[in-house]
Amino acid sequence: MRSFQLRALGPARALGAAVFAAVLTPSVLVAQASGLGQQSLRPYWHVFAAYTLVILLVAAWAFSIGRRLKDVENRLSD
Amino acid sequence: MSTAGVRRGGTALTLIGLAGLIGLFWLSFFWVSTEVNQGVAQRIFYVHVPAAWTSFMAIGISALCSGVYLWLRDERLDRAALAAAEGGFVFATIVLVTGPLWGKIAWGTYWTWEPRLTLTLLLWFIFLGYFMVRGSTEDPEKGKRFAAVVALVGAIDIPFIHVSVLWFRSLHPQPVVAKAEGPTLPQDMLTTLLVGVLVFTVLFFGLFLMRYALEGLRAELQLRERRTSS
Repeated sequence: MRSFQLRALGPARALGAAVFAAVLTPSVLVAQASGLGQQSLRPYWHVFAAYTLVILLVAAWAFSIGRRLKDVENRLSD
Repeated sequence: MSTAGVRRGGTALTLIGLAGLIGLFWLSFFWVSTEVNQGVAQRIFYVHVPAAWTSFMAIGISALCSGVYLWLRDERLDRAALAAAEGGFVFATIVLVTGPLWGKIAWGTYWTWEPRLTLTLLLWFIFLGYFMVRGSTEDPEKGKRFAAVVALVGAIDIPFIHVSVLWFRSLHPQPVVAKAEGPTLPQDMLTTLLVGVLVFTVLFFGLFLMRYALEGLRAELQLRERRTSS
């Protein structure tokens, strides 16, 4: 049955179909995998972003106070 | 206590708070169990709720100091109110960025105009208004008085944020800790949450004291500049 189909398609068409399948199959698999990946990894990214933002905002406030303290102390010591 | 002493105390508390923050992150990533319905996204709870508690406490301190400042006109109270308001603004910002990140997973949207979210955003704008009003007058004394009134108005928002989930239909869950029959959280989640509240409170007071010391030094500098000019 398979050999009949290949013969019916002709060598050029069979090659074209093989190339099409070779390109299409991985791209479909990649698309599906990335979709599944996004679904399952998204909460982790959100947790990571939330904790990172906590560190960044607290650090920004601490550095801002430190910088202003240093500036005032320098002016006082002049 | 001298300004240098306040600064040293603030630095020590901040370092303890930062060490506590590492401990809190370890607890919430490696120790506490994963919530069944929301999964891993629920771990945002352990920074979101303590930040909310800290911002409410900050506006409370700011309002209390502002109220007494309006009465006694003691500059130290105004400095404390300013330091608390700045901390409250930072922690309210943490609430407003971590909440939507959790909301997108739990509710399917980053933002919705439901009562608690709207009132928390209003609190953030009140903090912002505090600094804008303070800096918008030519007479600094007048700016301090106007800002004190803004802080008092901001404090009114806090009880409304707390009861908003009880009074109105809300996407936010009902209280799980501050309720008449006691907390209904599993023990490990409650422990992690309480550690978070403690860590954020220590961190806030550490940075609050440093910010207060900064205002003390600024006052000292202004006094010196006035003396040299006269």
